[in-house]
Amino acid sequence: MAHAPVAARPRVGVVKFASCDGCQLTLLDLEDELLSVVEHFDIVDFPEATSARSAGPYDVLFVEGSVSEPAHLERIVELRRRTRFLVTIGACATAGGIQALRNWGDHDAFRMGVYSNPEWVASLARSTPISEHVAVDAELRGCPIDPGQLVELLTALTTGRRPQLRDEAVCMECKRRGVVCVMVSKGIPCLGQVTQTGCGAICPRFGRGCYGCFGPREQANAAGLARHLQMAGDRPREEIGRLFAGFTAYSEPFRSMVTELGGARSGRSTTAAAEPAPRGGKA
Amino acid sequence: MVMPVSRSPRGGRPTIEGPGFLARADLQVLFDLLREDGRRLIGPTVADGAIVYDDITSVDQLPRGIGDEQSPGRYRLRRRGDEQLFGYVVGPTAWKKWTFPALIPLTRSTHDGHKVSFVPEQASPPKLAFLGARACEIAGLAVQDRVLIGTEFIDPDYMVRRANVLVVAVQCTTSASTCFCTSMGTGPEVTEGYDLLLTELDAGFLVDAGTPAGRAVLERLPLRPASTAEQYGVAATVAAVRARIGDPIPADGLHDRLLAQLDHPRWAQVAERCITCGNCTLACPTCFCTTLTQSTDMSGNAALASRSWDSCFSPGFAKVAGGSFRARPRDRYRQWLTHKFATWWDQFGTSGCVGCGRCITWCPVGIDVRDELNAIAPPVPLSPESRLVEPVAATPNDFVTAKVVSTKSETADTTTLTLTGVDPAFSHGSTGQFAMVALPGFPPLPISISRFLADGIELTIRGAGPATKAMCALQVGDQVGLRGPLGNNWPLDRAVGRDLVIVTGGIGLAPLRPVLHAIVADRRRFGDVKLFYGARTPADLLYRDELERWAQRDGIEVSLTVDRAGPEWSGRVGIVTHLFDQAAWDGSNMIAFVCGPERMMQATSTTLAGRGVSASRIHVTLERHMECGIGLCGHCQMGKYFVCRDGPVFSIAQLGDTFGREGI
Repeated sequence: MAHAPVAARPRVGVVKFASCDGCQLTLLDLEDELLSVVEHFDIVDFPEATSARSAGPYDVLFVEGSVSEPAHLERIVELRRRTRFLVTIGACATAGGIQALRNWGDHDAFRMGVYSNPEWVASLARSTPISEHVAVDAELRGCPIDPGQLVELLTALTTGRRPQLRDEAVCMECKRRGVVCVMVSKGIPCLGQVTQTGCGAICPRFGRGCYGCFGPREQANAAGLARHLQMAGDRPREEIGRLFAGFTAYSEPFRSMVTELGGARSGRSTTAAAEPAPRGGKA
Repeated sequence: MVMPVSRSPRGGRPTIEGPGFLARADLQVLFDLLREDGRRLIGPTVADGAIVYDDITSVDQLPRGIGDEQSPGRYRLRRRGDEQLFGYVVGPTAWKKWTFPALIPLTRSTHDGHKVSFVPEQASPPKLAFLGARACEIAGLAVQDRVLIGTEFIDPDYMVRRANVLVVAVQCTTSASTCFCTSMGTGPEVTEGYDLLLTELDAGFLVDAGTPAGRAVLERLPLRPASTAEQYGVAATVAAVRARIGDPIPADGLHDRLLAQLDHPRWAQVAERCITCGNCTLACPTCFCTTLTQSTDMSGNAALASRSWDSCFSPGFAKVAGGSFRARPRDRYRQWLTHKFATWWDQFGTSGCVGCGRCITWCPVGIDVRDELNAIAPPVPLSPESRLVEPVAATPNDFVTAKVVSTKSETADTTTLTLTGVDPAFSHGSTGQFAMVALPGFPPLPISISRFLADGIELTIRGAGPATKAMCALQVGDQVGLRGPLGNNWPLDRAVGRDLVIVTGGIGLAPLRPVLHAIVADRRRFGDVKLFYGARTPADLLYRDELERWAQRDGIEVSLTVDRAGPEWSGRVGIVTHLFDQAAWDGSNMIAFVCGPERMMQATSTTLAGRGVSASRIHVTLERHMECGIGLCGHCQMGKYFVCRDGPVFSIAQLGDTFGREGI
């Protein structure tokens, strides 16, 4: 993490891999702060906002999406080379995204089943987070990312302070806001206990359980939660596995839960995934 | 040790002639009066499947006829089938939401060239009335008063918010399975800390005032005098609540018991269930930990520091540049539990727990602190199997006569007597306990029980003085006076699943012999068992047949040493600690029982500590002058303990720096 401003008026790029563009749009949606952002940052590459292009170098690069195609493998390494401070944004970039559910399935069978000309589709057998390929300096979690956390990161970059992105359970935000626990009062399974905060507890605020789109928090005791749900709720294993099989299923320890309990594919039994490579290079 | 939270006499209570009666239909008058006084009314109302506290203006917003069912990790509303407005137990909201808000701005700062400035935020809180505060919740407010404004450093935000609150308390007429105010000494009766007190009856409320401010409101209410029957009815209802709750956590001595168990294996077990989500701490009415968050504008020149609720369960809470001081979930669970129930006393003179049960109900995985406390720091007796039974002869002047049915000469000066016709309580006795043994004309003496039999006991006695010599001289058919079993026991249940090391010398093996019998009877429940035993000469070794059997047949690692060897002795010579002071053990899962002279026990515990056996896992049995054996004569006092009643078995951690100190 930078401790001095990354640059006087940092050159910022926004790029995407396999993703839906929703996280980039969060930047455009910062209506009140947008002028200030443009004043303090030199946005040189941002296809959703401008047709101007830059090949870098970047002081700050926001990377959306997962590594999902053969061409991505080289591209992310090249971008990293041209970037001082690399920020991954969203569940795809930080965890592999919903598309990482294919990591538990038969990649060729999917290709044959979905596309009439599968040979035209270049895709990797696994969808993986950016941090599995290059060093990442900061990550913004969520599907999509939270505008408050994005502003916090941007303001921290301009002053060179550490962004205050709390690594704590979503429950903390529920309690601070006086949200009645949906798991205790309604028996709704909720991943809030094992999920990193940042969303403002938006799902429990609307009476539904957290489905973990911000991904596992530090030391998340997913096994403990799964055991409790199995015992207290008398739920079948696969149903509990399916809880973890969402947008961040490929992040440990959610990944182990999905592998152990099943649930990456509803209905038929899952095909054992190749043992995933360790995530590396996280700064 | 445990006292009610701040049970000071009620101050400034006006002289009134008993409580008045307010019809239920007139409760709105109270609402309106409080609002006329410029107060926002915060009270119970149903929202999101729970009874929460929120802004209310009308009696119609109260949970009429709604109750709740609570158990670990579960909360559900239910219809009561009556018109009660306060027929529920405490819900998810704690009043600290208003006195100690979850998020407040603290300091604004600016940067202008070389100049910086810091401006504290000032709270200007509204005047509030808390409607429906229960006894445990009032105790919770009192605890936060101690913590936040009770010392020389005060939290100004809390002070102004707290001063603006009028407390309208409500007596509990029902309880939940999660309640334990009775154990914490905080309820269920509201006895203090209120301005107005309501007790709900079938048709209305008894209303009483506790302060002049409350009195000023009460005098404007349309009351009639309460009848005697109504007042008695209330007392009976609250008493029934108390009886229903019972005493789930025996709190006596909990502080010391808990702090003696910092190495208990249960910490790791509970950490497998605990998600460390922090719900318990944020639901708790007394938890006060916070974190500062800095936010800046895009220029970085203007900053705001805000304070928000935080939790010792979050991994970042105890982090510094090099890592976290409480890196493991078990560390954080232990921090929370020991703070609430033990070290809070040391810091603030009260318990940190008021027994409201929120941490139990609102734990998403249903961890019950009462179960954890009773497992980690159980009250003496330590396990149900070793529950100590009151002896028939329970007074200092009373003895049951028992008959000697056999005698065995163990060494030149030591004899084992087998006795029958003993007090039936001995059949429930436990390892490490003793009996007061009396012969006419001699002072009664405390003698360790060296074996428990189906219909009697064995005593092994060394003839050291006139009384013990007379006892050693007893023949089959002679009678003796007995009182017991007395004292506590070796914590054998803590040794289950662990390695056990027993270190003793001479007659000291007698009180440990029942431990070895118990282990042999259930050998698989224990790990490695090592016995280190020393005597003056080979002829002074007790129970030689059994020593051989334990070693040969029963899987006990027996090591012997003597001070002076004879020609036939081929074993070790020297003091008992030399048997293992070179051993390379991992003592992290080991528990130790030690009996001998205090100097020997000190040397042993020092050696064991060097092997990783912590002070809370080293247990010794102490010898003192005893005459009554039941804590009445005062002879055996040692620091804060009577050795006969609180011991004779203590952990080194319990004894602290009194152990081995000269002249204690």
